Amino acid sequence: MSGGDDILTVSALNVAYGESKALFDVNFRVGPNEIVACVGRNGAGKSTLLKCIAGFLKPASGSIMSNATSLVGIAAYAIAGMGIKYVPQDKKVFSDLTVRENLELGSYASKDYDWTQVTEYFPKLKVLMDRKAGFLSGGERQMLMIGRAILGRPKLLLVDEPTEGLAPSIVGQLREVFRDLSKGTALVIVEQNLPLVCAIANRVYALNEGRIMAELAGHESIKPENCERYL
Amino acid sequence: MNVLRWWWSLVLTFALLALLRVFVPLPFANEIMIFSIYTVGCNFLLGRVGFISFGQPAYLAVGAYAAAFYFYYFGTNPYVGILIGVVAGIGVSLAVGPLFVRLRSDYFALVNLALAVIIYYFMQKVLVDITHGDNGLWFLTNLSSTPVLDLTRPDEFFVFALLVGFVVWAFYKYLDDTIYGACCLGSKINEDKLKFLGYNNYSIRLVAFVIANTTTALAGAMYAVYLGFVSPEITSPTRAADPVIVTILGGVGTLYGPIVGAIAYTGMKDVLSKVLGNWELVIGFLLVFIMLAGEKGIWGTLEPLLLKAFRRAPAPGAAGESKVGGR
Repeated sequence: MSGGDDILTVSALNVAYGESKALFDVNFRVGPNEIVACVGRNGAGKSTLLKCIAGFLKPASGSIMSNATSLVGIAAYAIAGMGIKYVPQDKKVFSDLTVRENLELGSYASKDYDWTQVTEYFPKLKVLMDRKAGFLSGGERQMLMIGRAILGRPKLLLVDEPTEGLAPSIVGQLREVFRDLSKGTALVIVEQNLPLVCAIANRVYALNEGRIMAELAGHESIKPENCERYL
Repeated sequence: MNVLRWWWSLVLTFALLALLRVFVPLPFANEIMIFSIYTVGCNFLLGRVGFISFGQPAYLAVGAYAAAFYFYYFGTNPYVGILIGVVAGIGVSLAVGPLFVRLRSDYFALVNLALAVIIYYFMQKVLVDITHGDNGLWFLTNLSSTPVLDLTRPDEFFVFALLVGFVVWAFYKYLDDTIYGACCLGSKINEDKLKFLGYNNYSIRLVAFVIANTTTALAGAMYAVYLGFVSPEITSPTRAADPVIVTILGGVGTLYGPIVGAIAYTGMKDVLSKVLGNWELVIGFLLVFIMLAGEKGIWGTLEPLLLKAFRRAPAPGAAGESKVGGR
């Protein structure tokens, strides 16, 4: 696949928190309809990479391109407006707003008022519409956050640790959602759940101490034992 | 059904305020109405956007002095004076807002206080030739009578203030129920989360700033018409905390908190000042008590109790009926 077709191309990316460098010359790409996973230990720089792509961190050097448009220096809200949505790790929703109001916020921003796909993926949200998001369980919050992010059918979804602390049944549900979503949206998933990664990812980047240590592509290479080496 | 509930709560509130006129002296009722409108902007900033402002007297003074200059130097129509006060409020908010809303909440509070101090000294010293300094501008006799509602008559002014209050509260209630209202609350809770969705926090805050301070300027212009007099005391730094106190007293972020807070504050000031030299001391202790009791304020505490008492039967999915922020 040529680089020009890629939804996202990250080249020689360096990111630092003050004096402390977090990413070193990271090269990374995501093609259309691909599910790309980032694995690595805590502190490897996975979340930093996502935040940088989403516009919440400014890189020290390097480039982040999406369909020939540089994302470096663009405000986070504008990047979201370009169809690159970020689902953070913290599972913090707008707790004082109802599920419906949370989705309305997503709808208004993306000008997509059709919630059919959201409620098909997460039927439970239908019965929780009038509940304040602060009273949702961790899994329900994750459903809401992903549901809100997929409104407007983004071209790229950045998801940080989506299954952390969730029940296995919800993890299974998310796996199917990610698979189905990838038919129209490319995904970058930061995840430590290797069975999930191996089940859905088309490509895996292994990070360690801010560096890409390996790129695994194809179902033959993407196996838990190959990924485990980097955890 | 929701529309009916929406309107009935407003109609009932303002009907009760109209009844207030029967039980309290007219100046007291007028003061409550103006103070309520003065506070509602502060309540919106604090309760919705999470910005505490100790500079509301600055915007009150902008509205009051804009109207006062018109009455003293140019014209006599009270409605035109109020309109000029509102336009001045929009102008000043748009001039300083782009700079102020970039600041963190604590610095925002202080920079607004600084603006109040600057305007105070400008009106008292720098522009003394046109403001007459501490003596103020007197223009009560300049005001002309107007048809339908004659604002030079205190009783008709009260009706006007009630109507203006109704429109203002309907507008804020409407804002609460819009996506923009949810965005404001989202900006208060976590601005990063709004950015994930594609919203620009700066624009949200700037619009909130202009709306809130224009409402405050409206109160200032009404104050000028009602009293027929404006002096730098209106923007005195010693009164900078008044709207914040009334907001907390009534219940931060609640729709009717500013009205309840204004009644409580003005009432205590009126009653206590007759028997106590240092009536502010009581307010101070009351604020400490409110903070320790859960920060809900008078209306924030009463509203759920009243809803419980008046609800005939619990509706299914009742949690969803409570609007954003419990307003």
